[in-house]
Amino acid sequence: MLWLYLHFPHLLLDHIQRNQDATGALVIVDGSGQAVTQACATAQELGVEVGMRLKTALGLAPDLHIMQANPKQEVWLLEDQARWLYHYAAHITLAPPDGLWAEVSSLQKLYGGLPAIWQTLEQALTERQLTAWIAIGHTPQTARLLALTGKGECTDDKGRIMTALGNLPLQAAGFDKKACSRLQRLGLSTLADVFALPAPELARRLSPELLSTVQKIQGTRADPKTPWQPPHTFRHRADFIQEVEHTQGLLFSLQRILSELEEDLCWRQQDTDTLQISLQHRHQESTRLLIRTTGPEHRAEVFLKLIRLKLDQQPLSAPVTALTLTVKRFAGRAAPTGQDLLGESQDLNEAWHTLISRLQARLGDQALKQLAPSEDHRPECAWSANAVRKPTKQPETEPAPLPHRPLWLLKGPQSLDQTPTHWLSGPERISSGWWDGQRVHRDYYIAQLPGGELAWVFRDHQDGWFIHGWFG
Amino acid sequence: MATGYAELFCFSNFTFLTGASHPHELAERALELGYNAIAITDACSVAGIPRAWAALKDSPVKLITGSWFELNDAPSSSIAPRFILLAKDRQGYAQLCKLITTGRRRAEKGRYQLFARDIETHELDRCFCLWLPPSTEHATLPQTIACGEWLLRLFEQRLRVAASRSLEVGEELQLARIRELADHLRIPVVATGEVHMHSRDRQPLQDVLTALRNHKTLENAGHCLFQNGERYLRPLSVLQKLFPESWIRETIQIANACQFEPGSLRYEYPPDLVPSGETPAGLLKRLTQEGERRRYPSGTPLKVQALIRKELGLISEMKYEHYFLTIHDIVAFARSQGILCQGRGSAANSAVCYCLGITEVNPTKVELLFERFISKDRNEPPDIDVDFEHQRREEVIQYIYQRYGRERAALAATVIRYRPRSAIRDVGKALGFDAALVEKLLDGIDWRDKSTNWHQQILDKGLTQNPQMANQFFTLVNTLLGFPRHLSQHVGGFVISAGPLSELVPVENAAMQDRTVIQWDKDDLESLGLMKVDVLALGMLTAIRKALELISTEKGTPFTIQDIPQEDPDTYAMLQKGDSIGVFQVESRAQINMLPRLKPETYYDLVIEVAIVRPGPIQGDMVHPYLRRKHGLEPVEFPNDAIRQVLERTLGVPIFQEQVIKLAMVAAGFSAGEADKLRRAMAAWKSHGDLTPFRDKLISGMLERGHNQDFAERLYQQICGFGGYGFPESHAASFALLVYVSAWIKRHHPAAFYCALLNSQPMGFYSPSQLVQDARRHDVTVLPPDVNFSQWEHTLEGPTHQLRLGLRIVQGLSRHGGQRIYENRPRQGYRSASELRTGASLNQRDMELLAGANAMAGFTADRHQAYWQLLDYEEPSALFAQETETDYQSEPCKQLPQPTEGQNVLADYRSQGLTLQRHPLALLREQGHLQHCLTAEQLRTTRPGIPVQVAGLVTGRQRPGSAAGVTFVTLEDETGNVNVVVWLATARQQRKPLLTARLLHVKGVIEKEGDIVHVMAGKLSDLSHLINTLPVSSRDFH
Repeated sequence: MLWLYLHFPHLLLDHIQRNQDATGALVIVDGSGQAVTQACATAQELGVEVGMRLKTALGLAPDLHIMQANPKQEVWLLEDQARWLYHYAAHITLAPPDGLWAEVSSLQKLYGGLPAIWQTLEQALTERQLTAWIAIGHTPQTARLLALTGKGECTDDKGRIMTALGNLPLQAAGFDKKACSRLQRLGLSTLADVFALPAPELARRLSPELLSTVQKIQGTRADPKTPWQPPHTFRHRADFIQEVEHTQGLLFSLQRILSELEEDLCWRQQDTDTLQISLQHRHQESTRLLIRTTGPEHRAEVFLKLIRLKLDQQPLSAPVTALTLTVKRFAGRAAPTGQDLLGESQDLNEAWHTLISRLQARLGDQALKQLAPSEDHRPECAWSANAVRKPTKQPETEPAPLPHRPLWLLKGPQSLDQTPTHWLSGPERISSGWWDGQRVHRDYYIAQLPGGELAWVFRDHQDGWFIHGWFG
Repeated sequence: MATGYAELFCFSNFTFLTGASHPHELAERALELGYNAIAITDACSVAGIPRAWAALKDSPVKLITGSWFELNDAPSSSIAPRFILLAKDRQGYAQLCKLITTGRRRAEKGRYQLFARDIETHELDRCFCLWLPPSTEHATLPQTIACGEWLLRLFEQRLRVAASRSLEVGEELQLARIRELADHLRIPVVATGEVHMHSRDRQPLQDVLTALRNHKTLENAGHCLFQNGERYLRPLSVLQKLFPESWIRETIQIANACQFEPGSLRYEYPPDLVPSGETPAGLLKRLTQEGERRRYPSGTPLKVQALIRKELGLISEMKYEHYFLTIHDIVAFARSQGILCQGRGSAANSAVCYCLGITEVNPTKVELLFERFISKDRNEPPDIDVDFEHQRREEVIQYIYQRYGRERAALAATVIRYRPRSAIRDVGKALGFDAALVEKLLDGIDWRDKSTNWHQQILDKGLTQNPQMANQFFTLVNTLLGFPRHLSQHVGGFVISAGPLSELVPVENAAMQDRTVIQWDKDDLESLGLMKVDVLALGMLTAIRKALELISTEKGTPFTIQDIPQEDPDTYAMLQKGDSIGVFQVESRAQINMLPRLKPETYYDLVIEVAIVRPGPIQGDMVHPYLRRKHGLEPVEFPNDAIRQVLERTLGVPIFQEQVIKLAMVAAGFSAGEADKLRRAMAAWKSHGDLTPFRDKLISGMLERGHNQDFAERLYQQICGFGGYGFPESHAASFALLVYVSAWIKRHHPAAFYCALLNSQPMGFYSPSQLVQDARRHDVTVLPPDVNFSQWEHTLEGPTHQLRLGLRIVQGLSRHGGQRIYENRPRQGYRSASELRTGASLNQRDMELLAGANAMAGFTADRHQAYWQLLDYEEPSALFAQETETDYQSEPCKQLPQPTEGQNVLADYRSQGLTLQRHPLALLREQGHLQHCLTAEQLRTTRPGIPVQVAGLVTGRQRPGSAAGVTFVTLEDETGNVNVVVWLATARQQRKPLLTARLLHVKGVIEKEGDIVHVMAGKLSDLSHLINTLPVSSRDFH
């Protein structure tokens, strides 16, 4: 068996960078936001290194762009790459978070030798604007260790591979920290030094686990790798370091994603009629767009045209920080009737969903809203009409009792031009919202107007009088 | 028409994250509005009272002391009540403090817990209770009535129903209910403002605090926020519109009935120390006389006798005997336990304190006048800080607790306040700024870069594009600055009282277990005229005591500080060379540079040395004039006799804080009161004070009296420099004594000196590695740790006093294990690893650490083989325990490489943080990595002005506040330290090597001033990678 390993040293970084035209120094930080896990070339030129504390990095490069790593996203990204590699090799195994194995001995004939495989991959990586370190080994671990250290060579000569492997420093062998420091304290520095120790001594004085790791590297112990199966969905995401404020800014990444979709569909020999696009914003709920084609489709330009239309109708509500495109519905090319391949049972959720979809299709997305109270002292902000969401579970906290408010709140205050006959309650002073530029400062009263209606009226800080709602 | 108003419900910002105004702001606003009285009623706290009191002293507005409470449980069939208690008189105040103490002591730091039962059992008959009935939404009428009835039973005619008008939704219902309750219970209604801020402008800040308290942002805080900003101190005209006249009249009646005045709190001294039949004055006199006989065995000099008489007269005139007796008692305890201590501060350096043993500063040696320290005019308590050995201070603290009991002794609080960093962080959080962005912003701010203020820096960084948002942000941050965040414990300020302390001030828990703090900090105590005793920790005292013990062993007879000869020329000669690593106070780089310039020859020179390298004299540009005058390069002149009196000892240049204050009086015509205000403003300047009001007065006052503008400006700059770092002569005098003692030990008993310093770590400026190198440069032989020779502590060995490193140097080694190695050591020493393991019953971890330290040199070939041996070990199961105890030496493993010198050096550093082998720089130099680099030693003989290259391990990076933008880097090589100066522009261009290099290479220009050598940095390069190649390349080399 011959294994090929692809190590993506900064997958997330590459992924973000290929979605922008030009960026300054950019780093990825770990989940806690403390340490730099990936740094782009510009950042490295400024002295930022992987493993550095973010504080130090900012000291070196004050204008650094920062992105926080998201384990979920890393998995998706790696699966993207697996799907791509699946075009070339049948036996693929994921090595999260940043590596892939491919069994290549069977491929040599197909491609006409190792160099051809190697070259094909390198070329494809360049096209995809991704960096990966490739290595080949007779065991999965050998390929992986050589790839991780960037010592991979396009050869299947066992002697050469073993020499390269033996020269690896202890720290690069993937031993656990304790074992590694023990070996170092014995004065050992390379993997060859470890191979030289008698196996029984290694198990006895260090640990059986260490011996097992060493043997897996050497190939004297089995190390089976389960083949990966491509999932049934297509999901791609683009992150933006600088928030995108105009539709135009999204098209660049959309184009790339759609052409990958086209490639994917072609390879699947399938079409789709529904694209789900989700636009993330920094402070708001994400915007969800549903793109439906009239019939099964796979061409990127058709999708792009539709999306353009949709975005023209519906300008961005807020700057976008990330974009996700998901396709879950696939139809075989041979069956253009649009058969649903999703075998989900029609539960209540599904029925609700179908109803909403139908209504939306009939009336347009904008026409359908869901009302909800919203905690804010300002009457106009105390409720919201949001896009329809799937019913969620009961909220965990009891909502606060609602204050005494008119059932009919006017769309905007209307000036009060009659003198009320009775003042029933008030003043209730509302002074709030200074933080978002929509400060209100009003005294509210319930008053009966000459016509007998009960009105909710207020006086603003300029002494103007307005009606804001009606009581029943 | 009502005649005025008394606000009885105010949260200040001592109700953390709730009140949005300082106590003094509330007080001052109440004065402006013409209120009759104002009560500060923080949540289970009286922490804000002293500050409000200071603001209202001598004003017509009465301050009422009270506190707000919410109980944790409900009296039967009602709901947990909230109410305010107001102290009617001193006794009521004591009752209030006691209740607060109960609630606070029961809960973790910063919280309180009170139950209905507590209110029933605590005596509260001298307090008014203002009941805040629950809202109609939260409780039914029967529940509310039950609650009211319960309170009525407890407080009878001292109960009121509080009504407030915040104009919020549902208020009409609430007011109706309040009327109903008042009728039903037959108690009067009293108007309150439910005040959270002194002015409506603070609403945004109040909203921010509320959001923070609820862990929300403003946008999602929703109904946690108040509906409006009505909870402020309202003008009388507004109040009269909102409340019925009778409710307002009631406020005034209550205010009139509250007669407690915080200024009436007087410290009552613990009487414990004076035996019956003796007067405090008599006792103090007797103790002083006993001390005289000890200090002056051949008779007290006449001058000192006169001084003592004068001082005792002053003390008894001011009735301070108890204070001196208390300190004497603590110091006497420390003496009896062999704990070194040294008093400092105003009043400490008096002849009486010398006789009482509180200080070692001999009044015949220094002319320090006691009167200067106890001010008759200021009527302030004397202030004596006592430093104790840092490793044993806890014993002293426990003694105080034991002697006076926890009821009567507690630590003063330190109010932790919002600083720019925390304020920006919190306001950013409330405004919903991206946390990562805020951190980025904070990191981007150069706090030292005074040229641009941080506001501008924030704008430059573009945290927000919205200028309106930016403005709000600045305003909020600025207002929040200086707000208290929580109470922490003071480093060592004890308050000891005659009666239960909790009747004087509430006591609460500190974060540290078994520590309690009072609710006031040292400024509060000072403004109320209460006395505290400072029990501080000083590492150098530990080191001195240990060194004295070693010298005693060496000499075979006890050797004490008193046995150290005074004014020893060799000691001064050493200091004049700047050879002061490890010496107290003068070991910093700045001090090392100053020593050869100041050339101290006498004790008083040391007093000046200690005080001169401080921001005050440096910012006031007083250093150079002083040096010029000291070395006779400039005449010593005084404009007039008054100034001569103040400045004579320092050659006409103001150096000490006292002199600056005194100068403000004699040169600028400040009155004693004004000078005192200036002193307080200086102390507070760093946190929240403002000195500008004094500037004009100072400068015009000095110009009027014929001083020139330049001197006046410099004096003002010096005052600013003293802010927060003020260094008074009275402290310098005590410190200088320890400088001399430690310098003498270093000069005459270097082995004992370094041994004691190493055993007192962590302390001082230098790492053990630097101390060991300095020791070796002073011809002290240092031996490595060894299981067959070392004890736990470092020791002196053999007739030549070789310094044997103790096992404590092995990082991570367990103390018990280390001690057993020494205690169980066989006479002939351990012969094998297994004998060591069983003999000292060491665990695997300790064994591995010892192997890593190469501390088994007697029976293992090298650390690799030692480690190999240890790895072949399994915890013996109980059954076979006997069998595995065979003494067996395992075969060396052929496959293991022998450690190279480089590997050994690195392993030493990893295990002990230092090496006794060659310095890494020596190895690198030998390997040819550092061609063209000069050593520290070579630099000393190199001509100034020429370009040089140096390299070394980075042991220090410093950016002193007093040197604008300059970074000082200290590099260490095999011959000593190289001082590198990096200017701001250079630093900005080469941040990376400057900030991250462990091994730094510098191209620069050598500069000299006397014996001081600097390299002015040009190009910096990071050579840290060479450290890791040490083992590899040295193997190649051999």
